[in-house]
Amino acid sequence: MDVSKQIEEIKQKLHNSIDITSRIIQKKDVIVGFVYLKSMTDNLIFSQALFEPISNFEMPLSFESLAEIVKANDVSECQKDEFTKKVLGGSVLIFISNSKRVLAVDILSFNTRSPQEPPTSPVILGPREGFTEDYKTNMTLLRRRFHSEDLVFESLFIGKSTQTQVVVSYLDGIVDKKIVKEVKQKLKSIDIDGIVDSYYLVDLLSNRPNSFLKQIGQSEKPDIIAAKMLEGRVAIIVDNSPIVLTVPFVFLEDLQNSNDYYTNYTYSTLLRFIRLVAILMAVLGQGIYIALQLFHYNILPMKYLITIADSTQQVPFTPLIEILFISLLFQILYEVSLRLPSYLGLATSVVGALILGDTGVKAGLLSPPTVIVVAIAKIAIYTVPEQSSQITLLQYIFILVGASLGLLGLIGACIYFLAYANTIENFDAPYLAPFSPFIFSDNKDGLLKVPLSSMENRPKSFKTAKRKRINEDN
Amino acid sequence: MKIIDRNITAWQTGILLFILLFANKVLVLPSLLYEGAKFEAFLIPIIASFLEFGLLFLFYKVKMRFPDKSFEEILSARFGKVVQILIYIFFSVYFLAKAVLLYNVTFIFFRNMIYKNAQNFVFLFALLPIINHLAICGLRVLGRTAQLFLPVIFLITVFCIVVGCFGIDSNPLLFQTNATMFFSTFFKNFAPFGDSILLFMIIDRVKVERGQWKPIFILSALALLCVCVITFVFILSYSHTCFMHPFAIFEIMSFVKEYEGLGRLDLISMVVIILYTYFQLAIYLKVFMFSFCGVFKKLDVLYSVLTFNILFLIIINFFITNLDGAVFFGQNLLPYFNAFPFVVLPTFVLLLFVRRRKREVKT
Repeated sequence: MDVSKQIEEIKQKLHNSIDITSRIIQKKDVIVGFVYLKSMTDNLIFSQALFEPISNFEMPLSFESLAEIVKANDVSECQKDEFTKKVLGGSVLIFISNSKRVLAVDILSFNTRSPQEPPTSPVILGPREGFTEDYKTNMTLLRRRFHSEDLVFESLFIGKSTQTQVVVSYLDGIVDKKIVKEVKQKLKSIDIDGIVDSYYLVDLLSNRPNSFLKQIGQSEKPDIIAAKMLEGRVAIIVDNSPIVLTVPFVFLEDLQNSNDYYTNYTYSTLLRFIRLVAILMAVLGQGIYIALQLFHYNILPMKYLITIADSTQQVPFTPLIEILFISLLFQILYEVSLRLPSYLGLATSVVGALILGDTGVKAGLLSPPTVIVVAIAKIAIYTVPEQSSQITLLQYIFILVGASLGLLGLIGACIYFLAYANTIENFDAPYLAPFSPFIFSDNKDGLLKVPLSSMENRPKSFKTAKRKRINEDN
Repeated sequence: MKIIDRNITAWQTGILLFILLFANKVLVLPSLLYEGAKFEAFLIPIIASFLEFGLLFLFYKVKMRFPDKSFEEILSARFGKVVQILIYIFFSVYFLAKAVLLYNVTFIFFRNMIYKNAQNFVFLFALLPIINHLAICGLRVLGRTAQLFLPVIFLITVFCIVVGCFGIDSNPLLFQTNATMFFSTFFKNFAPFGDSILLFMIIDRVKVERGQWKPIFILSALALLCVCVITFVFILSYSHTCFMHPFAIFEIMSFVKEYEGLGRLDLISMVVIILYTYFQLAIYLKVFMFSFCGVFKKLDVLYSVLTFNILFLIIINFFITNLDGAVFFGQNLLPYFNAFPFVVLPTFVLLLFVRRRKREVKT
């Protein structure tokens, strides 16, 4: 084999990119060539694992002896059509002049973040590690939780340009095979130039991509993903993304929190009720307030009515303009605080809370009850941060409905959106299950939370291969 | 346009029935009943409930005999297509008329109690898009959404009854009316009953697993019980001044208007009235869609929705705009329509069984 020619061919295929590196050494009458990407390979590992063992080898070199002397775990023979793919994946290709066979050694190495507590889902008790951008680390985090032969990882590549590694993971014998098949089919059918983050797959996996409702589960925490897999869900790990996706997804999942499973069940039940109330306050609070102000002021008790009338009579804006103005102000402050460096965060809070809020009220431009109502509604969103985008969108709709049609419109809008949510079924899981349709057994871990010992079965909201979780043999 | 109407469970069927049987009988009906039948008025919903249960029993029999067939198939096979189409036309007209009556009563209530002097189009704008959406989404979505709201509707109803009991300040004085007046009142106010015939339209879509009919019967009984109790509480609360209080479920709460710091409790009953108005209108539209498609089989389903909306708007805007008009419509025209669910339909169903039995004897 002409080693130099082979190396040159690969370089040309990769457009002589500056990070493609090759080395050729001659051992007696045998020429050995290495091709790799220096951006994906550690030089020290390369020289210790490959270069030194080969150059110090005293015996005559052959393909077989090469495979034995390299100090790496992932060693395989590479076919010609896979040369560039292997190099791009971080492997070193080793050519040898006395053989037509080529060796691929995986010594991929780059800097990755270590598992840390994710900023989006901190816990008081319970595991604090989170997924990272490296899919192998993420697989390890899951594998550490399942010492079982039933844990399956299946890999595929998506994206013409990015060739992103996507790993489908599930527990064999628990998950319904039809769901796995459907997930794989959907993933294989994706024809896109690139996947930069797992969120790209969210739209592509959803049955109703145009819907504003969240249809795919997302988490940064391996304990949550492991728990969902135990319930019979499929996890999808995407390389370069710390967010792991799960299907099927139901709304209830966002009402649950990992903290619920690490504290007393009665307290968890209380917290879930509080979360539900918070969601209702966040979605409906401003709409109800404006409807009461505009249409149904006579149903308020006299004391409250006088207080509200007193504080709003000086305000020059209509209630709708006033509430929209404060809502927009809050949204702007929120967006700014997300993007500003942390040391400027305090300044934003001061500007937002004190200058804009307090001064606005004192100047008579805003009324205190409106500021309170908007603040409560905006804060309440973050009891369920996973649903924040949907709730924010609904808030504006309900403000407009409350201002134009009052209570009648608000109740109508509630019915409309709940009916709309009821039309969504991803992977045959009704979106609002187990509330609608009402599934009694699933409500043991629904709004109520019973002790783990009482949750004998997996959810019925979606199909699973094995229903029983506790006392399987009985 | 393709609308997928998938099966609904016995529970969801029961919930739809609960809403339908309870809803339009607790607003103006109790007051109208008292006008004619005095204290004995509470007996009218009880007698009507038995008749309603008769319809339920007929449905049960038909479903047991023809578990997977639609009513359209059953009628065409036994009586021919002409009879089937005629019956389906009756269904369409009947439910359209019911929707009109319900809309008028609630419109007058909303305009008097919540939105002072608001125009008709405001209510239509709030109601029509939602009921169209519910009906177009399909029977299963309608059933599931109703399932979500059932606890709210039921708890508020119970709350209204309990709170209403605090307002009772008279004892029933029976025998204030005679039999003629009693039955005349019964007939005149018979329009809100007979809704159970909706079940015949969805007979093939009701999935009763392992013969579990309980939810349908229990929820229907519960709805009718609530109607009877609310009528009773309302009559005892207002007795001779019933005519001044036309909106029963709302008024029994108004009697205890200020409840310490809670404010006006009638808001709570208002919520339940709004909820059942939406659902009941959506159910009427859904049944209209089924019956319309049974008449015009080749037409797209969307036409049924369109036809309902157009006819509904025409009738609403040109005929009935006040309580007197609505009451006239409900008391003088609609009772005759009830011959369809309580006379015509049962006759055909009985014929169905007689013919079948004769055929069985021959074979």
